[in-house]
Amino acid sequence: MELKSVTDPQYQILLDEKKDFRRKTYKKIGLTIIYIFLVLWAVFTFVPLLWMLSSSFKDSSAITAVPPELLPKKPTLDAYKRIFEVGGMARWFLNSTIVASISTIINVFFASLAGYAFSKLKFPGRNTIFWVLLSSMMIPGQVTLIPLYILVVNTLQLENTYFGLIVPGMVSVGSIFLMKQFMSSLPSSLIDAGRIDACSEFGIFRKIILPMAKPGLAVLGIFTFVGHWNNFFWPFLITNTNSMRTLQVGLTSFRFENLQDYGAMMAGAVCSAVPMIIVFLALQKYFLRGITIGAVKG
Amino acid sequence: MAEVKFVNVIKEFEDEKKGKVRAVNNANFVVKDKEFLVFVGPSGCGKTTSLRMIAGLERQSSGDIFIGNRLVNKVHPKDRDIAMVFQDYALYPHMTIKENLAFGLKNLKTPKAEIEAKIKEAAAILSIENLLDRKPRELSGGQKQRIAVGRAIVRNPSVFLFDEPLSNLDAKLRVQMRVELSELHKRLGATVIYVTHDQVEAMTLGQRIVVMNGGEIQQIASPEELYENPNNMFVAGFIGSPPMNFIKARLDGNQLMTADYTLTVPVGLLDKYKAYQKEEVVLGIRPEDIISLNLLNHQPNHNVIEPTLKVVEHLGAELLFYFNIGEDQVTGRVGADAKLKSLSKVKLYINMEKMHLFDPNTQERI
Amino acid sequence: MAATVSETSKKWSWVNFKQFMKDYGWCYAFIALPFLLFLVFTVYPLITAFIMSFQEYGILESKFIGFENYKYLLENEIFWKSMKNTVIYTVGTVPVNILITFFLALMIFPINKRSQTFFKASFYLPAVTSGITMSLIWLWMFDPTESGLMNIVLGWFGFDQQMWLASSDSALFSIMLMTYIGGHGSGVILYLAAMGGIPKSLYEAADIDAASWWSKLKNITWPLLKPTTLYMLITGVIGSFQVFEATYVMTQGGPNFATTTIAYLIYQHAFQYYQFGLASAEAFILGFVIIIISVLQFKYMSSDVEY
Ligand SMILES: Nc1ncnc2c1ncn2[C@@H]1O[C@H](COP(=O)(O)OP(=O)(O)OP(=O)(O)O)[C@@H](O)[C@H]1O
Ligand SMILES: [Mg+2]
Repeated sequence: MELKSVTDPQYQILLDEKKDFRRKTYKKIGLTIIYIFLVLWAVFTFVPLLWMLSSSFKDSSAITAVPPELLPKKPTLDAYKRIFEVGGMARWFLNSTIVASISTIINVFFASLAGYAFSKLKFPGRNTIFWVLLSSMMIPGQVTLIPLYILVVNTLQLENTYFGLIVPGMVSVGSIFLMKQFMSSLPSSLIDAGRIDACSEFGIFRKIILPMAKPGLAVLGIFTFVGHWNNFFWPFLITNTNSMRTLQVGLTSFRFENLQDYGAMMAGAVCSAVPMIIVFLALQKYFLRGITIGAVKG
Repeated sequence: MAEVKFVNVIKEFEDEKKGKVRAVNNANFVVKDKEFLVFVGPSGCGKTTSLRMIAGLERQSSGDIFIGNRLVNKVHPKDRDIAMVFQDYALYPHMTIKENLAFGLKNLKTPKAEIEAKIKEAAAILSIENLLDRKPRELSGGQKQRIAVGRAIVRNPSVFLFDEPLSNLDAKLRVQMRVELSELHKRLGATVIYVTHDQVEAMTLGQRIVVMNGGEIQQIASPEELYENPNNMFVAGFIGSPPMNFIKARLDGNQLMTADYTLTVPVGLLDKYKAYQKEEVVLGIRPEDIISLNLLNHQPNHNVIEPTLKVVEHLGAELLFYFNIGEDQVTGRVGADAKLKSLSKVKLYINMEKMHLFDPNTQERI
Repeated sequence: MAATVSETSKKWSWVNFKQFMKDYGWCYAFIALPFLLFLVFTVYPLITAFIMSFQEYGILESKFIGFENYKYLLENEIFWKSMKNTVIYTVGTVPVNILITFFLALMIFPINKRSQTFFKASFYLPAVTSGITMSLIWLWMFDPTESGLMNIVLGWFGFDQQMWLASSDSALFSIMLMTYIGGHGSGVILYLAAMGGIPKSLYEAADIDAASWWSKLKNITWPLLKPTTLYMLITGVIGSFQVFEATYVMTQGGPNFATTTIAYLIYQHAFQYYQFGLASAEAFILGFVIIIISVLQFKYMSSDVEY
């Protein structure tokens, strides 16, 4: 566009101001639409969780009532009673807590140790070993599943034990990768300073690296905990007594044993989801930060 | 007693893309006890690598390193009786300054009372007593710098290693710290090995200077010697600012033929250049040895040239001026009272007493 | 000149070995446990599974049957059906969800930091609930009677009730539908991070060149986000090829194999019929397909975007 010569400068100023005003108005309208849409979408994604919550407080008749009740008219804890007494929620909850906590502690410690070695130490074969580990992430779990199952259940006799639940997933390659990414952003000169300050190699890791890597450890810890809490397939394969089931496995078996008891299922779902939601709300910033550390670019 | 000695030291790195990279090639030198020795050279020339080999943070590929007559090839950094100050200070961010200073001593199982005493002493030397309870992030760059030095001092080593310790400071602070470091060296009476890429820092601090380029040691000498008698064109060009001018020429008798002018070689020097009669050579002359005729109180009858100046820059007390001889650009430096003007023709006297000749093939000084 | 790098020290000797361990031993110690676990729980099973896939596996005795397992599968109707289901599921979910994610990120990007954080958190929140939990909730929402939430909602708009998971026509679609709602949080965060990394000057230059909103989107934003898109595409495809929990909890692969995915079929063969050999062969086919697709995507999608 070329600037036309204007006969009346006063008129041109008016015209420009009008245009500017219009642009600003458009922008405001646009932003308002965006906000409305985003809020609607957020509500939309919460619907399943809200429905879960509402259903869990209904009694058996309210849950199939016609016309349906969106909110329970007479909220009760009956469904929770059933999932605890008929199902065994307390035990499942305990099992999940134990498995997720121990796995997390072991995973965070060893993954950060290995991540440190892979990012900051130099030794023959380092890159080769790392790439071999990393490329194993491409292999779908189903491939190794059967021999793994035979190994753990038949050879090692670890069916229905905490060992069997924890050991195969003790240190994940994904965690090592996350830690390697995180550690490589720490300055190497501190490690050298540690060596000159007569610190042992493990001492450097424990006294210098770990304290500095705290935010990364928190991210990894949270993700690992949530991951193990939500993990289904392996615990499902290797537990078959109700007392050893984890929460996810217990809920699933309950669903098949009590086909129509949606109320209790929703109560169970609440027990599974709410602790994680609380963890998330409390430690939000670590979650949001962690997602970007983990992703490989390209 | 802490000499540091390199014997045929080579360091090669495995680089993923370039294959083997030789960072230090066949280094031989001796750092005398209590000497302040500076390594200087352009980026990537292997200064840091040399320093890290002395520290034991990097193992040489071949050759021997001695510290105070002890062969330290396989000795851990903590047992080498050295301390190091890093470019980025490398203060432990989660420890207080006091803990930072004490960390090494604690690891060496030094008694508590002794640690306290040493920290107190170092803090007094560096006047950092009021900072001891802070964390590194609460300090300014200059303060961090002091703490980093302090951490080295408390170890009471016989060799101090510095890797570009001043490069993260602003210009003013750098000058101040330079003076302090110099005083500190006298006071501590230890050997200091100091790496920098700043030749001014090298010239002002070093008792002797090691000039490196591309992994090779070019010259080891005192600052004056380096300036007056550079071994080769690299050293001549690296030391001094603006650098020495290099002008292609041909030697014929006592005549030095450049593209535009014929200059006369002083009789006393002719003997040295015998082997290069009728050969191509490179004339090296420092900017301050190109003098505006209007500043001289005598009128020389030879070695006067009359070029047209391309540009004259005013630096306050001094003028820098640029002109060409053949294809070579020449820089001169004179006092501001010469009152030179750009694009003017001026008479310049070249002080050939200060000339150097270089072999254009080997780049060595003749 | 000096001998090149440690000719002598390359030779094996007890002294050299001791020195090597002194220099590097602790490095290997640091990675020892993960590496050991990797050998025992990944490498060993991988090799065993490969052998198994050529066997008719029995607890006491296994016999080699060559490519029989693979041949059986490639001629098996249900295997192909499950393959088809998996592909439909992948094609119907991954690109759609990437688009949803992209537009959500696009909308969040211009708003202020605090609202951004709020929406990031809101969209991420459903992702901390487990697949099992979500599947149970949706199972209940898809209830084919009039008390299922989905049917309630349809009723509000005057539509007929649907069978959802209970009909082989709509079961797979229902499972896909479930992925469209929620679960975009992490993708949105990745996109936002990448969008923040695009230099502002590019947009300013475009503004001066009088580019429209759409043209900036098409010519700057989308192409420069390609690495992120590629990352989400590859991880998305790998994930959706292994979809299991939803079909297991909600439909058990039915009705009439309408939701039998490969992962589900592998599970059935392995842990309901104990045909370990067959299941291993199936798993290898799945692994092969996943790797091929990832490589292809990488090759055709990745271009050298540098900024
Ligand atoms: N860990 C390493 N791996 C591979 N190559 C390296 C490594 N460290 C240094 N190099 C290479 O060795 C050469 C010398 O590096 P060095 O760090 O000693 O240079 P420098 O003189 O200290 O430079 P600067 O002034 O930039 O600090 C460079 O070419 C560098 O790329
Ligand atoms: Mg350096």
